[in-house]
Amino acid sequence: MRIRRLLIPALLCAAVPAGAQQRGNDHGSVVIIMGQEPSTPIPTLLNGSANIAVSDLLFLRLARPGPGLTTTEERSFEPQLARSWSRRDSLTLVFEMDPRARWHDGVPVTARDVVTSFARVRDSTVDPQRALLLRYLASVIAENEHRVVVKFRRAYPGQFYDASFHVQPLPAHLVEQIPRGRAFANSEYVKNPVGNGPYRWVRRDPGRQLELQANPGFFLGPPKLDRVVFLTAQDPEAQMNLLLDGTADLFEAVPPVSGPVRLARSPTTRLLTVPSLSVLYLLINQRAPGDRERPHPILGDVEVRRALAMGLDRLNLARSTYGRFALPAEAPAAQAHWTRGLVPGGPGYQPAAARALLARRGWVDRDGDGVLEKNGVPLVLRLSVPATSATRAIMAPQVQEQLRRIGIRVEIVRLDFPVFIQRRNKGDFELDLSVANMDPSPSGIVQSWSCAGRAGSNVAWYCNAALDSLLDRTIYTGDGNEKSWRSAYAMIQADVPAVFLASPANSIAVHTRYRNVSFRPESLYGDLWRWSVDPGRRIARDGAGAPSR
Amino acid sequence: MIRWILRRLLQAAATLVVVVLLLFVLMRLAPGDPLARLVGDRDLAPGEIELLRERYGVGRPVLVQLRSFLAGAARGDLGVSIEHYPDRVTSLLASRLPATLLLGGVVLLLNFTLGIWLGVRQAVRRGSRFDRWTGRLALTAYAMPGFWLGLVLVAFVSLRWQLLPAAQMTDPMLPPDADLGTRLVDLLRHLALPALTLSLTSIALTMRHQRAAMLSVFRLDYVTAARARGLPESQVRWGHAWRNTLVPMLTLLGLWLPILVSGSVFVESVFNWPGLGSLAAQAIASRDYPVLLGTAMLVSGAVVLAGLLADLGYALVDPRVRPS
Repeated sequence: MRIRRLLIPALLCAAVPAGAQQRGNDHGSVVIIMGQEPSTPIPTLLNGSANIAVSDLLFLRLARPGPGLTTTEERSFEPQLARSWSRRDSLTLVFEMDPRARWHDGVPVTARDVVTSFARVRDSTVDPQRALLLRYLASVIAENEHRVVVKFRRAYPGQFYDASFHVQPLPAHLVEQIPRGRAFANSEYVKNPVGNGPYRWVRRDPGRQLELQANPGFFLGPPKLDRVVFLTAQDPEAQMNLLLDGTADLFEAVPPVSGPVRLARSPTTRLLTVPSLSVLYLLINQRAPGDRERPHPILGDVEVRRALAMGLDRLNLARSTYGRFALPAEAPAAQAHWTRGLVPGGPGYQPAAARALLARRGWVDRDGDGVLEKNGVPLVLRLSVPATSATRAIMAPQVQEQLRRIGIRVEIVRLDFPVFIQRRNKGDFELDLSVANMDPSPSGIVQSWSCAGRAGSNVAWYCNAALDSLLDRTIYTGDGNEKSWRSAYAMIQADVPAVFLASPANSIAVHTRYRNVSFRPESLYGDLWRWSVDPGRRIARDGAGAPSR
Repeated sequence: MIRWILRRLLQAAATLVVVVLLLFVLMRLAPGDPLARLVGDRDLAPGEIELLRERYGVGRPVLVQLRSFLAGAARGDLGVSIEHYPDRVTSLLASRLPATLLLGGVVLLLNFTLGIWLGVRQAVRRGSRFDRWTGRLALTAYAMPGFWLGLVLVAFVSLRWQLLPAAQMTDPMLPPDADLGTRLVDLLRHLALPALTLSLTSIALTMRHQRAAMLSVFRLDYVTAARARGLPESQVRWGHAWRNTLVPMLTLLGLWLPILVSGSVFVESVFNWPGLGSLAAQAIASRDYPVLLGTAMLVSGAVVLAGLLADLGYALVDPRVRPS
């Protein structure tokens, strides 16, 4: 009796879903779970994928790469703020702005906005990362209200990509008066940004959610979903539970092994895969840990590195870690890169040949303990892994076991992410399992695999002048043909600065009521404004309509 | 009495300063780069990383950082979060505190009302079936880890029976201008499971303490005397016996009070409850020193304040410990 008395109010509460009374709208809504909080989705303040995802709904670029992500062909790009473009010469690009484009406050988007935004981004004190990417730009000029002229210092195939992709213009009439730096980050504009994209800002509840509302005057066509809510949930269990109990509609990082099993029980959710721009690899430090002046006594030998590559079964590693959501990798080219098909086949899994190769270099198991030795030194290597990465935690013991079979003892060192990065940046590691989230352009490989990259993300200090020269010809002198890319990848494979293991796909769970669902590797929600809800399958929150601010 | 309170307040302030200094130094000694997540796999030159360090104030010597922090703290400014840049730490704490206070407050209320009532009832009915069964249930509940219990409740109540939401503090689609009744119902639905998870284990502990304290008091002469005087049993139980168990219960309350602001890292994470516990966990994982220090200061302050309140409580309920 008493139990029933307690249960009735609880059941009554449960029977009244919030917002159930707010039906009657023809459109729809989407609730997206994010692992990180999008706190500053403003171009020039961007950091992290969550901010980028929101920013791509608020701000357009001049143009975006076509579906094939071919970043070296101007014709393959799709118009956004620029309705057309042309070349005056090999160093000059001219963009004609779409006169229909408007900021969310109704002011037209003009060439002045583009020029102002380029000036901000090229200021290395504002956005050091993008300033570096735009180092070959000479000037950006507004010839008239709707014409932007971009001049380069040198001719190279990626000019158009650099001019159109890296900068999302900000409204000059709102941001010009705000000083750059911290004052901008703390400005009212950043708290209530005004963009030009398909969705406009509604509000952010720190630590909870961020809400956008459809921009009915969007010049490329009104979005069909009225509301987009980004929920912040960092706990993997909470993320899946929010999806399975119907609170959310979309989750872009479904755990590749356990996720599909749990989602199979949900009839309203389907799992989609989208090629990603990330590559998982075993980074090999060729310098002594913590002392980059000295070569690594074991890993400085290219034959030992080749043996490591031959001792790892990429196909099995990719499948056991990512299920069907990854492809084995042979080079720093991700699933979504247009150059992926140009990567030559690697040495493959040959444990016997790996052991023979090590024996030729003097590594032999003399005491029969299963670990090879040379001059009394056992072949023992430390593998750093960030403790927070579930996939790398699964993969590390498998790498350890596979290398054990060829006589290498691997000691796994699990580190907090900040410690992992700190050691990585100091070169204080021997092997580490890294994930590179790469640029849509394959030219981004210069960041990690060129001598110049040693000042930045080439933390293992790999340097091959011949490769640098080849990459320079391929990327910056207009010689960017397929043969050059093949040679560049083959050269990296021969040097083995890393063992490239897998290129995972984005595994995305999405509610089955949506139509026209598509995702883009370089901007996952870039086409969200084209989605719609099947009219026969609306749920309560689809009729919620636009909230008042 | 006022001098005693002032002296205790001064002691509490001194304790807090020492704790803050210790925390500040220990955090900087811990390995790990606070800019790790921002720098990540990006191509940033050392000069550019230094620029970021300067922006976040982590590139300066520890003593300079400490001086700057103390100057800011004196003005009520705890700096800018690294992970949530450009949010200020004080505004982050202020935005998370209500959720933690609500959850902690409900848990504390359930804990000390149900826990005390059940404990007293157990003691009164010592050896009965009720005493045995509630004792076993309490032991079982106390033995269950909170995060596991939370996951089990979600699996059944939310996912299988679909009675209550699995996570969040509010429905994400609830309009901000929804009427008070709708918002209250929504809040209660979301609060139910995390509050139940935290309460089940804590009630068990309070109940066991209350039962033991009541049993020890029931044997005393003044209780027998009260009964002999013909006082009603409820007055003997609550007015005489229970009142004398307040000192150990106040000690327990003093230990539980900091949960009001510290939250529970595991439960807040499992239920995606936007409180200080999950904020602190995130700050630890990302070495967000300013936020970590802010939450640590708040929790330390709560612990010190709880101790002070417990001492005041002793003085109020027991004249023997009241300062002369």
